[in-house]
Amino acid sequence: MSETPRIELLLVEDNPQDLELALRALRKANLANHVHVSRDGAEALEFLFGDAAAAGRRLEDGPKLIMLDLKLPKVDGLEVLRRIKDDPRTKRIPVVMMTSSKEQSDLVKSYDLGVNSYIVKPVNFDGFAAAVQQLGLYWLLLNEPPRSDPP
Amino acid sequence: MIIEQQLKASIKEVDDLKAALDEHAIVAVTDPQGRITFVNDKFCAISKYARAELLGQDHRLINSGHHPPEFIRELWTTIAHGRVWRGEIKNRAKDGSFYWVDTTIVPFLDPNGKPRQYVAIRTDITARKQAEEKLNASNKEVLDLKTALDEHAIVAITDAHGKITFVNDKFCAISKYAREELLGQDHRLINSGFHPKEFIRELWTTIREGRVWRGEIKNRAKDGSLYWVDTTIVPFLDANGKPRQYVAIRTDITARKEAEEKLNASTKEVMDLKAALDEHAIVAITDAHGKITFVNDKFCAISKYAREELLGQDHRIINSGHHPKEFIRELWATIRQGRVWHGQLRNRAKDGSFYWVDTTIVPFLGENGKPRQYVAIRADITERKRIEMEIKELNAELEHRVVERTAQLEAANEQLESFSYSVSHDLRAPLRAVDGFSQAVLEDFGPQLPDEGRRQLQTIRSAAQQMGVLIDDLLTFSRLSRQSLAARRVDFNAMVRGVLQELGAPWADRRVEVRCADLPPALGDPALLKQVWLNLLSNALKYSGKRSPAVIEIGVADKAGRPAYFVRDNGTGFDMRYAGKLFGVFQRLHRPEEFEGTGVGLAIVQRIVQRHGGQVWADAAVDRGATFHFTLKSEPPT
Repeated sequence: MSETPRIELLLVEDNPQDLELALRALRKANLANHVHVSRDGAEALEFLFGDAAAAGRRLEDGPKLIMLDLKLPKVDGLEVLRRIKDDPRTKRIPVVMMTSSKEQSDLVKSYDLGVNSYIVKPVNFDGFAAAVQQLGLYWLLLNEPPRSDPP
Repeated sequence: MIIEQQLKASIKEVDDLKAALDEHAIVAVTDPQGRITFVNDKFCAISKYARAELLGQDHRLINSGHHPPEFIRELWTTIAHGRVWRGEIKNRAKDGSFYWVDTTIVPFLDPNGKPRQYVAIRTDITARKQAEEKLNASNKEVLDLKTALDEHAIVAITDAHGKITFVNDKFCAISKYAREELLGQDHRLINSGFHPKEFIRELWTTIREGRVWRGEIKNRAKDGSLYWVDTTIVPFLDANGKPRQYVAIRTDITARKEAEEKLNASTKEVMDLKAALDEHAIVAITDAHGKITFVNDKFCAISKYAREELLGQDHRIINSGHHPKEFIRELWATIRQGRVWHGQLRNRAKDGSFYWVDTTIVPFLGENGKPRQYVAIRADITERKRIEMEIKELNAELEHRVVERTAQLEAANEQLESFSYSVSHDLRAPLRAVDGFSQAVLEDFGPQLPDEGRRQLQTIRSAAQQMGVLIDDLLTFSRLSRQSLAARRVDFNAMVRGVLQELGAPWADRRVEVRCADLPPALGDPALLKQVWLNLLSNALKYSGKRSPAVIEIGVADKAGRPAYFVRDNGTGFDMRYAGKLFGVFQRLHRPEEFEGTGVGLAIVQRIVQRHGGQVWADAAVDRGATFHFTLKSEPPT
């Protein structure tokens, strides 16, 4: 399946339950069609930088939104964020940090690295679902990204 | 014939007499007008005039001008009346020299009783007169000397028995006695009692033996005041060689004696000080070249050198080598410039042991302004130094321990941080799953479930959510211990207004009366202090929820000079027996059905207040409301 439709949303989440709940919320908002899931930081980086090349995709044609958990196995969310924002080809992709951490230092580091949004996941599912849906709607439908023309 | 013979004999006799007279006396005869008609050889000889120069002249020729006109007039009056004049006359010889003559002028009368001629017979008394003049001059000199002595000295004369026979004015002045009070007394009158008996005895022995005594005597004046006199007593002896009287000549030396006494006293004081210093301190004196010229016993004792080993050496003998060259150089530069040096020195005793001395070196300057010697005064501070060293070592060890502990604490803190990080991240995820999947069950399978099943799922959800709140509060609380504090001036009036607004003031759904006094500003961390007000005010609102109107009072009281801010409500209050539990984490005095809450709010308040160096306390009674007070450490800067 080299002719996969363009991925709109990259969801990086290691916790299967959070993942299922997030997908459930996205589905309810009809945003679950073009979602790719990575289960750790290494996988996410592989998807963004490695697979794209293998599939002949241009890095500039990456996902329209990345939802990134902060605490991830192998490569953590902050490192993934740094790599995305460091690369001129991916730095314009909006990245939303979805995390349980309210630590001030995490917030500061994320914003310093150029995160576009920082969301603390509520324990309450209603709140969590609402947050996921609103984020998806906002970044995927409302927000206008810069055009990335082929060279 | 007989007559003739008799006449002849008589003439002879007269001639003889005349010859004898000529031999013996200076003879001159003048006529009634005073013109010289006869002079004998002796007259010529003494007057140094030739006879021819004299005859026919009057006596003005040899007038010396010595005698006043009255004297001459009286002479002429006497002889003009035919009476004999006798007196001493000073004449001038031809060569200008003077001579004195004892003169008898006999007038010879004519038959009318008028002087026919004057015969003047003179004897040369020049030698006697000159002796007399000399004597007079010397008498005058003696008188002058006596006057001068009287002016200058205190003079007294006593007889052989010591009775005062004369005192001069100065004696009276210094002794303050009148002359009458002194004459006839002996010197015991002015005896001060200062001198021992032997002294007085030796004085009398000396002068009784006819020898002069000289010495200093302290006397007492009439008014009791004391005076010193430098005294010379000269005995005057009678024909038997026994003292007939004593002349005492004195000079007032009271001022000198007093100065001497003062000097002696101050010298004594200096000696006493030196003795005291010797007792107390380690003393050494070196000459301008640094050679030791004096050491006291204590110096020998501490340095363990004998005095002979030290004198003539310089201080290198006790140099421990401890101090850098610059230090020693600075010492010498200071004292060479004539300035005092003070410092602590480590020296080495003869046996190789070390000792510390607190040292003051004082340079003493010579006439040329260069130091002529140095006096070094030292105190043994070896023990103090040892203790200082120990303290220093202890401090270093302590510091090391503090560093270690701090590192441990930091590690623990880091651990705690990662722990709470995990708690916040990992503990909440399963709760989210519990809540989320309960919701999913309700959504997906709700219709198939009985009512009771749905209610139970709802209970699971609210329990999970409650736990989420607990975790959040716990994290907030633990963060408070680690967070660093800002110290800013905080306007509590504005802060309280803001917090009340956040809490929903003014409340539409209930009656709340807020009474807010003017609050003084505070110094602290604005965010944390806001948390304090938020928790206290939300508690007050919560626990007064069943009152209408709820009355919330915000004010400030005085607690030992510090402002104690308070929040008072008229709510449900609590039993003071449980006040001890009030500020514990998760401690609650009310059931959740009555008032919701996690029991962390007051624990957070206490932690924040404590971190600000303050105290928090509560007063309450069941159903009578509660008052919470808190203080902060420091006054805000004005």
